[in-house]
Amino acid sequence: MPRRRHRTGWLRMGSLAAFTVVFVGFAIAAPGFLVVGNIANVVDQSAILGVLAFGMTVVIIGGGGDVITGGIDLSLAGNLGLSAAVFAVLSQSGSGDVLAVVAALASGVAVGFVNAFAVVRLRILPLLATLAVMNICAGVELVLTHNMVVQARSSLLSRLAGDGPFGLPVLAYLLLAIAFVLVLAVQCSPTGLRLYAVGGHREAARAAGLAVERHVGGSYLVSGLCGGIGGVFSAALLNGSTPGSGEMLLSIVVAALLGSVFSRRLVPTIAGTLLAVLFIGFLINGFQLINVSSYWVSGVEGVLILFVVGTTSLVRREMS
Amino acid sequence: MTNSWLRAGAPPKPRDLLRFGPVIGFVGLFVFFSLATSTFLSAANLRSVLVNHFSILGIASLGMTLVIAAGGIDLSIGTAMDMASLGFIEVLAVGGSTMAALATGVAAALAVGVVNAVLVARLRITPFLATLGTLFIGQSVEQLATGGGQPIYLVAGHPLAIFNAIGTGIVADVPVALWIAAGAIAGFFVLLGWTRLGRRVVVLGAGPGVARYTGLPVRRDTALVFIAAAGICGVAGIVSSATIRSYVPLAGNAYLLDAIGATFIGTTLGRDGRPRIAGTLLGVLLLSIVKNGLLLIGWTFEWQQVGTGILIFLVLAVSFGHRREA
Repeated sequence: MPRRRHRTGWLRMGSLAAFTVVFVGFAIAAPGFLVVGNIANVVDQSAILGVLAFGMTVVIIGGGGDVITGGIDLSLAGNLGLSAAVFAVLSQSGSGDVLAVVAALASGVAVGFVNAFAVVRLRILPLLATLAVMNICAGVELVLTHNMVVQARSSLLSRLAGDGPFGLPVLAYLLLAIAFVLVLAVQCSPTGLRLYAVGGHREAARAAGLAVERHVGGSYLVSGLCGGIGGVFSAALLNGSTPGSGEMLLSIVVAALLGSVFSRRLVPTIAGTLLAVLFIGFLINGFQLINVSSYWVSGVEGVLILFVVGTTSLVRREMS
Repeated sequence: MTNSWLRAGAPPKPRDLLRFGPVIGFVGLFVFFSLATSTFLSAANLRSVLVNHFSILGIASLGMTLVIAAGGIDLSIGTAMDMASLGFIEVLAVGGSTMAALATGVAAALAVGVVNAVLVARLRITPFLATLGTLFIGQSVEQLATGGGQPIYLVAGHPLAIFNAIGTGIVADVPVALWIAAGAIAGFFVLLGWTRLGRRVVVLGAGPGVARYTGLPVRRDTALVFIAAAGICGVAGIVSSATIRSYVPLAGNAYLLDAIGATFIGTTLGRDGRPRIAGTLLGVLLLSIVKNGLLLIGWTFEWQQVGTGILIFLVLAVSFGHRREA
């Protein structure tokens, strides 16, 4: 038992050390890297990916870690695009900010509801159900936007895209605030504990009298809401809705899965996902600052996943 | 669901009929599109469905079916397709011979498979994450090789014999692309159903623990599965680039989700819920006629996507209905 703790502790240290090495490396190599403005900028640009990865994390916690039969929400990127389109179209047709925000969030939750219904009631594999829903989202987005950029300008959007207290971006504050709320709800509440129990061993959770269906379904609703919030953020950052949000899907999956190596027991956590998202953000930012072509970014992300997951599975094997 | 594949002889229950959801869906849609449009049932249209939609996705889905049958998943099938296409077109573009181009294309796809095999069988990374890593690295390789994603077109006047042979050629009244697809299907059907390797793959997928404890060469088989899947996807990539006479970076990923969808639609066909070649092909056919049929009844591109999504969703809902009591 002490050996086990020692081993995973080493890995956790290892991933944090990797984060630190990359951070310090860029701080030395790129003069503009370790500046408050730049760091806030990275957090700002990680806001969309972060919120979506939180949604994915909640689903993975509730569904279990097996990517095929466990929880996964492939519709998140499509949901983001759809919610942003809903916001932009309403905003452009003259609706107020409140209505547009409510409609965008409602469309996100509606997508989450369809996922929850498909997974819990119809018992479709989450991988497949959310895959189909992703296609539907992408299609409805196309219907709304005709595959074109829909410009949206409003006071709320410019407020969101602007600077808040201390001259730091508002989205950065919002990302940290959402992370804080979710950490409280998932990591520090009875509901969150039950969600982990349901994901960890569904039959045991059911035998212990937990409302398994409600927790699993709820995780998809939270994920849908995250998609809606991400949509509003994206509308603010891009001044409306632009096609191509679907490309984010794999980055979301990577962030949520990478996050588990930042946790003590190698399970997905909100804080771990936040660290993973920031890690990816700093990597991209640092490469830009030292003028490495952006073509390398996805390759480095790929190597990173393989490295982290490879060492994790190595440690897991020694643990068992 | 996990052990039901052992109960081969149980009498059918009414609920079991629900598992024919994909079949009913396919027949229903076929009849509907035939009645609703005058063009759907024409020989020219059906041929175009088979050549443009069915053959490439069908070949790629074979690889996906093999990997899923072995209990894994391969997210890098699009990468293998792209790499094969890149190698094939690049060699032709610099004036290499047809055989050299074909060999380079297949070798490039196999290289992707070897990377996956090492990651999964040697380093024991879960297939989903290993192949996701391969997919990301492949994206970088493709962007670096093409200056950020510029397609490679072959200039006119190039000896296009190979394209005419693969892309538009017709042998015995059947397009060559379909012959290739038929050959690949037959090969995989035999491989999965009639060879020792195939039987071991099925065991590996149905009960990995059983496979290991009975002393089957699990690692070697896993490696072979990923290499074979990448290889067949390389064939799909070559057929696809021969049809459009160019290499388009990152084009293969468009097939990834359809291949996963087709394979899993196929798994609902049997009582055991395992992937099978025939089921996958039905899934591919279903996706193909939906895309084509919705186009013919005049739905715009946007509504086609909505319609495809909803139809797949309904098929899944019906097909998974029979498992509800399991």
